[in-house]
Amino acid sequence: MTKNQPRGFANPWFQFVLNIIGVVVYELLLKAGAAATADPANGWSWIGINALASPLTWLAIAVIIVDLVIWLYILRYIPLSIAFPLSRTVDVLVPISCWLILRETISPLRWCGIALVIIGLVIVAKPAAELEERL
Amino acid sequence: MTWGALAVILVWLATFVAGQLFFKRAMDLSSNLGFRNHKTIFTLSIGILVMTTSFCLNLGLLQRFDLSYLYPFQGSSIIIITLLAAIVLKEKLTPRLILGTLLITVGVVLVSLS
Repeated sequence: MTKNQPRGFANPWFQFVLNIIGVVVYELLLKAGAAATADPANGWSWIGINALASPLTWLAIAVIIVDLVIWLYILRYIPLSIAFPLSRTVDVLVPISCWLILRETISPLRWCGIALVIIGLVIVAKPAAELEERL
Repeated sequence: MTWGALAVILVWLATFVAGQLFFKRAMDLSSNLGFRNHKTIFTLSIGILVMTTSFCLNLGLLQRFDLSYLYPFQGSSIIIITLLAAIVLKEKLTPRLILGTLLITVGVVLVSLS
């Protein structure tokens, strides 16, 4: 946290953006992999092992491992109490991307949620900017 | 939702939160003691073990529930992790950070509910 912040590709904020993209990708892959192998009648399926039968799950695991390494790198420089709330940027990026690119409709309640997340991110960004100045 | 499902969701959440705290602790140790220090390796290993448990439970839950159904539970982890980072890891928590985190948490829950 007190180390000099690297620049360019190694900059933790740049890695943060990569991490968020990784989360979107692996969440979608995990859901697709789990859905393809769903077997609710099997009691052991609660622990998720049978989802490993899907190649999509293994692809998700590969993305998760890369994302984990990036996340650990981020945590070397940014406090968890700032990094984790900011990482939820993904929760507004996905619906807004669907609205802009896929022309999906967004309900008024969801717009309210998106607005709250954006306001929250702006508020959390201030301590993050102060941290940046200290680094 | 059955009591069993609720129990699995709670264990999933608890392991996810604990995993993040172990990861941050391990990275703080790595900054001070280096990556090869046994304390760093041990803490990181525990974090990976706990997070792997969380991952498997998440897979099991995804087979039974929609991602949008599980997201509000995951959303609640934001405020829990922030508070525990202050309590367990002694990170500085300002009223501004708490307010921002609360808004993000409520926003995430609303996004996933609608």
